[in-house]
Amino acid sequence: MELVDRYLKAVAKALPEAQREDIIRELSEDIRSEMEDKAHELGRPLTEAEQQALLRQHGNPLLLAARYHQDHRTLAFGRQLIGPVLFPFYVKVLSFNLGLTFVVIAVIFIALGASGQKVGFNNILTTCLLQLLIQLGVVTLIFSLIERHLTKNPDRWDLSACGGLRLDVKMEKNITLPIDRSQWISRFESASIIVASTIALVWLTGVQRYPFLILGPAAAFLKLAPIWYQVYFPIVLLTVAEIVRATINLVRPDWTLFRAVYSVFVHCGGLAVVYFLIKASSWVMAVDSAAGEYARTVGIVNQIIYYALLITGIFSTVMLVVRVTRLIRGPRSHARATGVGATAKEGN
Amino acid sequence: MTPGTSNHDLFENLRLELRRGSLVLAVLAALRKEQYGYTLRKTLSEQGMAIDEGTLYPLLRRLESQGLLLSEWREEEKRNKRFYRLSADGKMILKQLLAEWQSINSSLSGML
Repeated sequence: MELVDRYLKAVAKALPEAQREDIIRELSEDIRSEMEDKAHELGRPLTEAEQQALLRQHGNPLLLAARYHQDHRTLAFGRQLIGPVLFPFYVKVLSFNLGLTFVVIAVIFIALGASGQKVGFNNILTTCLLQLLIQLGVVTLIFSLIERHLTKNPDRWDLSACGGLRLDVKMEKNITLPIDRSQWISRFESASIIVASTIALVWLTGVQRYPFLILGPAAAFLKLAPIWYQVYFPIVLLTVAEIVRATINLVRPDWTLFRAVYSVFVHCGGLAVVYFLIKASSWVMAVDSAAGEYARTVGIVNQIIYYALLITGIFSTVMLVVRVTRLIRGPRSHARATGVGATAKEGN
Repeated sequence: MTPGTSNHDLFENLRLELRRGSLVLAVLAALRKEQYGYTLRKTLSEQGMAIDEGTLYPLLRRLESQGLLLSEWREEEKRNKRFYRLSADGKMILKQLLAEWQSINSSLSGML
């Protein structure tokens, strides 16, 4: 029944949290009853291939979970761009992006106001509207492309994508190994990381060329300090490294140890970047023509960035300790749980 | 898109629309006798009203939240199952819906 668990796990991920446990219990009972019925009919237990075929009839886990959502909102311009399945994810991503952007804009305008500079309502409105349009356009485009793919290929899903079950010859040869497949990395998660990291990469490149994307109208008198240009390449490198890792895990979801070790290295790289940033002590500067006039604004913005970096550094260090501890303890506890001396061998 | 395909899609949409209303009636009627999800699905399928679980379970939840159904988790054959049955309101609504359905049916029979 491992296949059923994997399928249910994939459904559960996209279910409304409040009802998740109840729905999964009921679905589990339904699928298991159906399998028992079928096995009774055949007079023997179902093979894995037969179980797979039966689960396939139940449909794409994402689409099945979407039926339980009360939220049936969609986005349409003439034709439907984003359907009810992706709409909740779309709203989450858009809210996160816009939230982050508006926090940055708010910091700049608060600093301007606190330093006695004139802040026009028109400036705030124009900046917010511009950011809203850019974010709305990019996120909507990406989600509408995913929606198009999902609509065109509703049946194009694989049980191996439900947290990663592969039934190829290689796995069958290794079937005696105590492999904990429930720990495999979901392909949906890997694909999401690729999309999110690519958006981040495009945004990073954009900010480098057009600082108004992050500074808004303040780009007329503020500029990014040289430290950002020094850490730009390492940040791009870390983002690309994450895309490479997610792409590898998209193909090999069973490489969990690879992800755990790789993530520790990427995390260390990220911490190093935060360390150099904190050391810099200045992150925005006034443009030459406005150096005197905006000195106080620059001071306030830098102060806020300093505390934000400090919090990020502390949080990131704690996360790194947790990851390393899990990495060290993980195989041992697994060995204890499975009662085997050797650790569970993974695909890599 | 060819006119044939377009007509087929149109028919499918209208057929689904027609069926959607009838499904509620079928589910309420089948739950005059207490059943759990899988046996209900089998009963409906045997009566020619096949319904996949992605449609049935959300529908059951909706009808329960509207007060037309009652449900309880109970152990049967060493397994926990959720049993559904009509509530008092459900029985009353089913009676009214059946009368409505019979009225529509006789009107249509007269027209066709």
